Amino acid sequence: MTQLSPFTSHEVADLLDEAQRVRGSLDRGFRDHLVESIYHDAAAIAGRVTRRGKAAGFDLDRVIDRIVLSPVLGLPLMLLLLGLIFWTTIIGANYPSQMLATGLFWIEAQAAAMFEAMGAPWWLTGFIWHGVYRGLAWVISVMLPPMAIFFPCFTILEDLGYLPRVAYNLDWLFKKSGGHGKQALTMSMGFGCNAAGVIACRVIDSPRERLIAILTNNFVPCNGRYPTLILIAMVIVGAGFAPTAASAIAAASVLMVVVIGVIATLLASALLSHTLLKGQASAFTLELPSYRRPNIGRIIYTSLIDRTIFVLLRAIATAAPAGAVIWLLGNIHAGASGGTLDQHVAGFLDPLGHLIGLDGVILLAYIIAIPANEIVVPTMLMVYMSTGMMTEDVSHDSLRQVLVEQHGWTMLTAINLMLFSLLHNPCATTIITMWKETRSLRWTALGAVGPLVVAFAVCFIVAQAAHLFGLG
Amino acid sequence: MRCGTCDECAINDSRADGSEGAAYVVALAGNPNTGKSTVFNALTGLRQHTGNWPGKTVTRAEGRFTHEGKTYRLVDLPGTYSLLSASEDEKIARDFILFGQPDCTIVVTDATCLERNLNLVLQVLEISDRVVVCVNLMDEAKRKGIAVDAEALQRELGVPVVKTTARSHRGLDELVQRVAEVAAGKTATQPHRVRWSEPLDAAVEKLRPMIEKVAPGLPNVRWVAMRLLDGDWRIQQSLMDGELAKIAQVQQHPTERFSRQLAVEGRQ
Amino acid sequence: MILTNQNSDAKSQQSGLWGWLSRWKARRQQHRMEDLLKHLHACERRRRTASVESAAGFLHVSTRRAMTLIAQAEARGLLRRAANGLALTDHGRELAMAVLRAHRLWERYLADEAGMPLPRVHATANRLEHERVGDQVDELDAVLGFPHTDPHGDPIPSAAGQLAAVPGIALTDWSTGEAGHIVHLEDEPAFVFRQIVDLKLMPGQRLQLQSVDEHGQYEVNIDGRTLLLSPQVAANVYLEPLQELHPTAIAAPRRLSELHQSEAAVIDRIDDSLRGLSRRRLLDLGMTPGTVVSAEHTAMFRDPTAYRVRGTLVALRREQADRILLRDESTGE
Repeated sequence: MTQLSPFTSHEVADLLDEAQRVRGSLDRGFRDHLVESIYHDAAAIAGRVTRRGKAAGFDLDRVIDRIVLSPVLGLPLMLLLLGLIFWTTIIGANYPSQMLATGLFWIEAQAAAMFEAMGAPWWLTGFIWHGVYRGLAWVISVMLPPMAIFFPCFTILEDLGYLPRVAYNLDWLFKKSGGHGKQALTMSMGFGCNAAGVIACRVIDSPRERLIAILTNNFVPCNGRYPTLILIAMVIVGAGFAPTAASAIAAASVLMVVVIGVIATLLASALLSHTLLKGQASAFTLELPSYRRPNIGRIIYTSLIDRTIFVLLRAIATAAPAGAVIWLLGNIHAGASGGTLDQHVAGFLDPLGHLIGLDGVILLAYIIAIPANEIVVPTMLMVYMSTGMMTEDVSHDSLRQVLVEQHGWTMLTAINLMLFSLLHNPCATTIITMWKETRSLRWTALGAVGPLVVAFAVCFIVAQAAHLFGLG
Repeated sequence: MRCGTCDECAINDSRADGSEGAAYVVALAGNPNTGKSTVFNALTGLRQHTGNWPGKTVTRAEGRFTHEGKTYRLVDLPGTYSLLSASEDEKIARDFILFGQPDCTIVVTDATCLERNLNLVLQVLEISDRVVVCVNLMDEAKRKGIAVDAEALQRELGVPVVKTTARSHRGLDELVQRVAEVAAGKTATQPHRVRWSEPLDAAVEKLRPMIEKVAPGLPNVRWVAMRLLDGDWRIQQSLMDGELAKIAQVQQHPTERFSRQLAVEGRQ
Repeated sequence: MILTNQNSDAKSQQSGLWGWLSRWKARRQQHRMEDLLKHLHACERRRRTASVESAAGFLHVSTRRAMTLIAQAEARGLLRRAANGLALTDHGRELAMAVLRAHRLWERYLADEAGMPLPRVHATANRLEHERVGDQVDELDAVLGFPHTDPHGDPIPSAAGQLAAVPGIALTDWSTGEAGHIVHLEDEPAFVFRQIVDLKLMPGQRLQLQSVDEHGQYEVNIDGRTLLLSPQVAANVYLEPLQELHPTAIAAPRRLSELHQSEAAVIDRIDDSLRGLSRRRLLDLGMTPGTVVSAEHTAMFRDPTAYRVRGTLVALRREQADRILLRDESTGE
């Protein structure tokens, strides 16, 4: 490194003083004039170097926007699109899920048998195959097919340029709730992953509105929670109807839950902007880019590799230890009654669970699933099955049998589980991301505990109302 | 080119540790929704996720590509409309172009709305003369019946201009070629300067000698002066702690910065 | 980041509850001392006498506590007892000016960049003005683009501690038919200021006094709106005469929000009341004077609206579109 040129802070101070003096002589609006002169040159240059052919007479973008941005059709169209995606996911995921499960559980049975044949102790076989492996098998078979369908669909909408239009259509709602128009964008990203949604909140410049967006992002279900929603919708809600209507009803119920999530987001935003984060709505300038033809090859790549595999790996990383924990809980006997640990814990949580229309096992599953929401359903099923009749058959009929007949699930349980899944606390990754983005323990704590309180409150009200009307 | 020996300067540090083996550092700037991430992915072979909504790239992504045996480190900056607003993303982009001293900055523009995109190009040209303008989305422009005269644009801007359709990898070879030439200092650029209002120009001229005294050889004195008048804490700080002076010195190094022999095509 | 307040009290480094308590006490003491200096400075500006009683009233403390505080300030050379009450020393005035500078810059920041409602800005700035860490205040000054006034139009002291006079003439001293632009809105008393905010009066607006009726109500024309101001409000609105009375200055300008669907117009200017990041964003998107814009789509309840600007489609909320004024000329077509 060559020597620094000699400079003194004295000279810099002189410079800054001079700058201040000169500034006084400038018109106060000189920044406006500056931007004006830059744009003046930009327009002149652009005019000289671009030629517009005779307008094709028909601007496709504008025609599409007439419909998509229409004050009347915009919102229904959005709901319809989303509903369609859910329906496709539900229809498409059912069969592959069962195939995967059958295959993976067949491997478990074979491997366990092989272990036994080799003379491995029962606890080793149990721990590895009925514990860790089964957790993995559940996560893969329950989560992979819906994600492999949902993500590409969602990515197509994203690449088309539809998301800013969603923000445009929903802006009046966010404006009423004191949030930023771009909160609809960050909310949409939350559909993929809440942690990603929280990071996406950086697009909001105003600190107040950014904080609102971060704290409420959790109210849209992320991919980790879809499997729960979709599975419950299919197994319990849809099954109550004629087989022909079942998948449409299931899709509609998931859509309902998402709409409730959006309403919860808006209410929570409104609450925050009237209490802790009072303030005015800041500027909303949103560019609506022209539509682009999505690149199908890339969409498949990004949605499958980046999103699906990424999420799946994360789920697997947490499912394996969770599977181990569940197996241990299910096989360690304690207390005078000799019941297993998970029976004790579930029994302990049971009264609380019933108060909000759920049961102890579900709550236990949510506690175990704090690291990643993806494993709620697998955990729940494993606990149920380790305490009840073992079954490796995961067809929807047998699942329903386990849940409804052996464990007393009702429609109320299903609805409350969906609501709880929608509203409860964010996963550990999201909580950590919240902290990284806000650098504040207080806001992070609010973002973590607030939703949990909401979830308990809502489920409690629904359960008590159902009991009151004799429905539960 | 890199000043790896300078250990006080945070940016040079971060530059040094990420770029072992990389001969040059190239920054990728541009408006949101110009296909910047697509260009990034096409050049580096990475699969950074791209979506069609403004402000998607909120963090700085990095990748590498090689050309004629040399490795280039490509830094994807957040998409911005301007460098004047001082929002978080604009600060990241501005600071990297100014203090990160990339050997070349690619400004990706949308051929279908060049006017709005040139706003950013003209601002980048005030900061750095090592710029290649990439007019992307040519396929969309064609669909809309818009033709762009790249050579005329090149004459207007005084820096190389390349037309691309990054999605189908069209024009990228030429882009890499131009970037290599600018990074190696083989292209003499003569960036377009915006005509500012009289009073602002006069004010800038008053500050010019003083800035040159503090940071001799600074290539963007006019811009620094304008920032001081407008109110830019980071620039003020970098003058006070000598960071800007150091940059000026590195840029002034005779064998490196001012050895550009070839003129931009069509300029002579 | 600007919004984080580091606890930089280096004096007491004790840990635990006791340390925390003593740090808190020291801080409260510092805040009170600075508030006291602010009070003395305000009295000085208004040519009123500051006394122990007025200080106690201002600080909401007992006279005894005020006396202790004044004694401490005196010991530190910040004030002296003059024949007619309390007076600032040069050192005390310097400190008061630093607090005032921080206060008004924070107000500007909170109003322009953080989007806080004007009535709440003052109270928050009252808290933040005491947390002056390092050159944070100078940074704020630069980041905000060296503003001359706070959101109410009060001048901001310079870094060197120079304070300009409160600009303008109160509306009550204005004569009928005269036009001017609002330069200052007095933010005390709070209930009058709230009325001012409710009437959407803002510094920078152009105003013409139409008449004063028999009840002392002031009828004024502001950017095409006709308003009736009570005498209390009028007394707290300060104006400066317009240098040149542009014919369109007072006539109601058309606003971008009034544009019909598919109608095009030319932007005249962005209203002065829109400041900070919001203004910069609009400019960056190319909404500079002389630019042609057309309204293309409008959402439910006519908000937001998507405008075509320089070949791109940009959605704006009504509040923003309201602040973009259009040229009178029609663009033909």
